[in-house]
Amino acid sequence: MEIFVNISTAPLERHPLLGDDNASDQTGAVAEFKGIVRREESGAPIAALEYEAYQPMAENTIRRIILELAAAHPCTRAIVVHRIGIVPVGEAAIIVRVHAKHRAEAFALVTAFMDRLKQDVPIWKLRGVPLNPTAHPKNGPPGFAEVLAIVEAACEPLPSEHVSLAQATGRILRETITAPEDQPAFDRSAVDGIAIRCDDPSEAFTLVGEIRAGDWRPQALAFGQAIHISTGGALPSDGLQVVMIEDAELSGSRCRILRRNAETHIRIRGEDVRRGEPLLSSGTQLTPGAISLLAGIGKTKPLVTHQPRVVHFTTGDEIVAPESQPSSGQIRDSNSPLVRTFFNQLNIASTHHHLPESLADANIALAKYAAEIETADILIFTGGASVGAHDHTPQLLAHLGFDLKIHGTRLRPGKPMLFGTSGTRLAFGLPGNPLAHFVGLLGFVRAAVAHLTGTTAPTLQPSLLTAPLPAGGNPRETLWPAMLSLRDGRLMAEPLRWSNSGDLAALSRANGLILLPPGTGLLERHSVVNVLPCSSFP
Amino acid sequence: MRILFFGQLKAITGQPEIQLPFPSGNSDDLWRKLVALHPGLDPLSKQVRLAQNGEFANASAQFINSDEVALIPPVSGG
Repeated sequence: MEIFVNISTAPLERHPLLGDDNASDQTGAVAEFKGIVRREESGAPIAALEYEAYQPMAENTIRRIILELAAAHPCTRAIVVHRIGIVPVGEAAIIVRVHAKHRAEAFALVTAFMDRLKQDVPIWKLRGVPLNPTAHPKNGPPGFAEVLAIVEAACEPLPSEHVSLAQATGRILRETITAPEDQPAFDRSAVDGIAIRCDDPSEAFTLVGEIRAGDWRPQALAFGQAIHISTGGALPSDGLQVVMIEDAELSGSRCRILRRNAETHIRIRGEDVRRGEPLLSSGTQLTPGAISLLAGIGKTKPLVTHQPRVVHFTTGDEIVAPESQPSSGQIRDSNSPLVRTFFNQLNIASTHHHLPESLADANIALAKYAAEIETADILIFTGGASVGAHDHTPQLLAHLGFDLKIHGTRLRPGKPMLFGTSGTRLAFGLPGNPLAHFVGLLGFVRAAVAHLTGTTAPTLQPSLLTAPLPAGGNPRETLWPAMLSLRDGRLMAEPLRWSNSGDLAALSRANGLILLPPGTGLLERHSVVNVLPCSSFP
Repeated sequence: MRILFFGQLKAITGQPEIQLPFPSGNSDDLWRKLVALHPGLDPLSKQVRLAQNGEFANASAQFINSDEVALIPPVSGG
């Protein structure tokens, strides 16, 4: 019997052990159990569960239990994957998949195994991550995975709307698109040539017509008859083949076939797609190719998610517009272009306003934007580069009726991050430093946008370091800027030098972040690290 | 001897693992030493199983200083 076991912090839904699992010809049944984290733990709402394992013993114990149980329930293969660390609501904590000849032993092994797992395998559910950690200060500020789970748990999918194809670029499809008809819709010639009957042994033919793309001229051919047909032309009847024009000799209405083989050069009706076959699934982002497909089947008003409405506020009197010359003590505003461009890349338009430094003046200014704030889906507050200015953001959010769920994290950079909700609206307070902004946008805001629009954001994935990373044993969890690339099909991460969280040079090259656990010291070249990429690698 | 604490035991002892000098002895001897160090463990001794080098230890197991011992409170995976 084959047994595959793995315990890891990575999401199980795309686990390679399950992805590479092809049934052998001995397999007649595959039974799978998936244990999913529910929204509630001990009567209280949660954003995630945290698990821990005594890893080598847990993996060995799982293997031994399966072997023991297989004596009574003979099966051909078992795969057990368990996730540890923070497991967000709605995601799997365990997946057990069993292959057997028949269903009875596959079901029996899965059931018996789960009973034994819960008695003997050293894995523990440590705690539920509360939806609102500010109400549970004794846990300390949340780390990366907890912040992500809390943000995602607060997101409600936005409503959907029908839009024209011109407006649909990059939008998230909210319906499954099926083929309305066979593609191609009729048998058509794949080449310029001469159509004749397959069963016609003649060598000399009389041309009885010409069919160009777009013509529809059904016609039966007799022996010795041929039709000149263009690429894309509809075949006039069944049982024909097309001989390429290069293999024929034409002279007026006569034609000789010089070479002929079994190839028909016909694109058969339904060869590409059959009527009713799914073409695009709900949750697909509409790329140029997808929009071309929609146009090709006449689906000119696809159902897509509303784009989130985003309003960005910056604060701080030391900030001047990028085109201005800063006087002493002032700096140019690099954050609002960062935020605007970040959303532009997601095909989302955002508006930006600058707020005065003092709390009273800022509240007065916010009142001017009340209508915009009321209809926004995401509010971003940038604290300005000064710490003092950022201190006002919790009060501004409270004044706007937001319930603060995160007030500070264990992350570096990004420690003073804020997150709050009011109804279905989300508000992020990001520290004023550009790198901390990048971390907040890439780490959390993008995941929120994905959840609001009904798609999935790129998640952490393993990568190899291209150079040593002197992480310095910092006791805080760190997101380190990196330049990611694919080399020979493997994701590689070049750690970028950064001196402080205002480091724009590092930011300008970063297309991803390396997540370093607390206390990480020097990592050698080719160490495996978890990275969060800017975009999904296929 | 390397001793690992899991689950709620980490909160009781305040640390994930300790080094404990333990020349040799059975599980009762080991428990006495552990409880002397962390009295909070005493009420849990009935529920907590000992693992010796990655395997559950049986009642007659003898422990030596080079063992890795894990304290396994009731498990709750899945």
